[in-house]
Amino acid sequence: MKLARKLMAASAVAMMATGAMAADIAVIGGSNDDAFWNIIKKGLDDATPGIVANGGSVNYLRLVNYDNFAPDVVQLIRTAISMEVDGLVIPNWVPEAEDPAIKDAMAAGIKVILMNAGGADKARELGAINYVGSDEYVAGVAGGEYFASHGQKNVLCVNTIPGAANLEARCQGVIDGMTAGGGTAAQLPLPSTSFGDATAVAEAIKAELLKDETIDGIITISAGDADSAAVGIDQAGKTGATMLGSFDLNQAGLDRIKGSTQMFAIDQQPYLQGYLAASLLASAIDFGTSLPTFPVLTGPGIVDASNIDATLAGVAKGAR
Amino acid sequence: MSQSFSIGGLLRRPEAGAFLGLVAVLIFFGIFGGVAFLKPAGMSSWLNVAANLGIIAIPVGLLMIAGELDISVGAMVPFGAMTTAIIAGHWDQSIWLAIVVTLSFALVIGLVNGLLVIRTAVPSLIVTLGTLFAVQGIVLGMTVLIAKSTSVALKTEGPAKAIFGDFIPVVFKGQLQSIVVWWLLAAAAYVFFVHFSRRGNWIFAMGGDKVSARNAGIPTERMTMLLFVLSATSAAFVGMCQAIQFNSAQVAGGQSFIFNSIISVVIGGVLLTGGFGSVVGIFFGTITFAVVNQGIYYTDFDRNWSALIIGVLLLIAVLLNNTFRKMALTHAPKKK
Repeated sequence: MKLARKLMAASAVAMMATGAMAADIAVIGGSNDDAFWNIIKKGLDDATPGIVANGGSVNYLRLVNYDNFAPDVVQLIRTAISMEVDGLVIPNWVPEAEDPAIKDAMAAGIKVILMNAGGADKARELGAINYVGSDEYVAGVAGGEYFASHGQKNVLCVNTIPGAANLEARCQGVIDGMTAGGGTAAQLPLPSTSFGDATAVAEAIKAELLKDETIDGIITISAGDADSAAVGIDQAGKTGATMLGSFDLNQAGLDRIKGSTQMFAIDQQPYLQGYLAASLLASAIDFGTSLPTFPVLTGPGIVDASNIDATLAGVAKGAR
Repeated sequence: MSQSFSIGGLLRRPEAGAFLGLVAVLIFFGIFGGVAFLKPAGMSSWLNVAANLGIIAIPVGLLMIAGELDISVGAMVPFGAMTTAIIAGHWDQSIWLAIVVTLSFALVIGLVNGLLVIRTAVPSLIVTLGTLFAVQGIVLGMTVLIAKSTSVALKTEGPAKAIFGDFIPVVFKGQLQSIVVWWLLAAAAYVFFVHFSRRGNWIFAMGGDKVSARNAGIPTERMTMLLFVLSATSAAFVGMCQAIQFNSAQVAGGQSFIFNSIISVVIGGVLLTGGFGSVVGIFFGTITFAVVNQGIYYTDFDRNWSALIIGVLLLIAVLLNNTFRKMALTHAPKKK
């Protein structure tokens, strides 16, 4: 009897101890109908069993919509603080609104990792453990270098939303990557009257190709624009001569890579963002690990003929 | 017709101003864009854009003549593309079924627009603003629910591809989209409907004064419904053809059609206040807009200035048109 009571007390103490040590993590992310965030969620879901096995938990707090963006995100951070979590994974979309709340979370003893948006400099400034995500400029450079190393000399980066900082960074990266590889590249900013009109985008690209015969590479800032670009290249009679690349993936683009009418696509690999951010944070809380790699870049991952089959298998499982 | 042919008489037709605006921008790009712009590849470049826009611009223009606006076309384009892609691409059903379902849904949305405008007496700008957002929401919500993605691929083969979304062989070196034929047929049908049938005059009367028009025995409500159905189905039709043409549909996009169609209509000489305009004018206005937008790529101007040049040229085209309309309206024939 006495022994049993002692054992129970001991196990209760043990449970309390693990309760204090285990990583209860809150992850804030985009809305349910956002395909991109469902891939991040797949990464989180795959990381969760390991965290739960060590006595922790993962709570995914999603925005319902993007209508009242900054206040809603801040509200979710406050919710996470009031839940007394041990760790917080947060995209720093709107620094001026989110920074005070993130600092409050840190003051409450919560360990923070920035994911998807924010960047390494912001993570250092706030004192976050790390930044897990991509860098648009680095992704652009990778695209430019890919073109250069495959023999392209003159590349056009088609920007259907000129003025958006992240897209300008993509094109600037392509230009710098090409220039470093010995080629030339330029941005083609399309007027807003053509945004969302596939024919107008395709015809603009066709016109540029007809006007400048030396263009042998086209890269678009989105997967949808690549659908238009493929038709534009075909209509200019340059299929096989002018290579096509794109930022981001969609099914039609993957089919083109498979059928070799598109050369490559640059992926920021959102699955890794969810998976790595949650595991890194839990491991830091549970075991005190710290990763010297800072930031942790999940992209650019290049999808081309060499890895298209594995990528398609990933798409089927909702991870790409 | 009793009047004899004369150049002066031709210039005083309502669409003459729109035609001269077109000639002016063609000359501009002939000079700065060189011959490539007027070769088959260059011409198809702006004809394709004009066709996609024109199919929507004519019914939008007729609505404006009748004193109404429809901005929900911006959501109907991705709606048409997505509905077709989901049925024929995601579910792998027959493309013909997809076409019928897409156009039927569009017809229903057009009826809803028309009914709301008639029954509530809320300005059509506000009603269609509401349906614009509502349809965008339906497209996004349903697409993610069904396809788990915001982009759906579509592979079409056989006659449907050739009829709705392929390049026409031989003519123009195979650079014209098949939608150009649809546009020309639609424009011809509208010309007949508006200018050679009784109903055409009804539209002008409605834009002039709706109450008087109704008192004169014109079924204004039925005509309003018909025009909203035409604009909704036309926009969905364009989206459907684009999905077939480009083998893919996105939930976003199509918004540019709202502004672009209204601009084309105004360049074509339709008054924003309604009651004045012509189908042929809208036709030329659409081509003018497409020429200005696509012509820029054949010139050597720095691309960062494209929007400025487009804006200035469009203004010049409208001013030319207005000048000629005034000349035409104030002209008094000499006594013989």
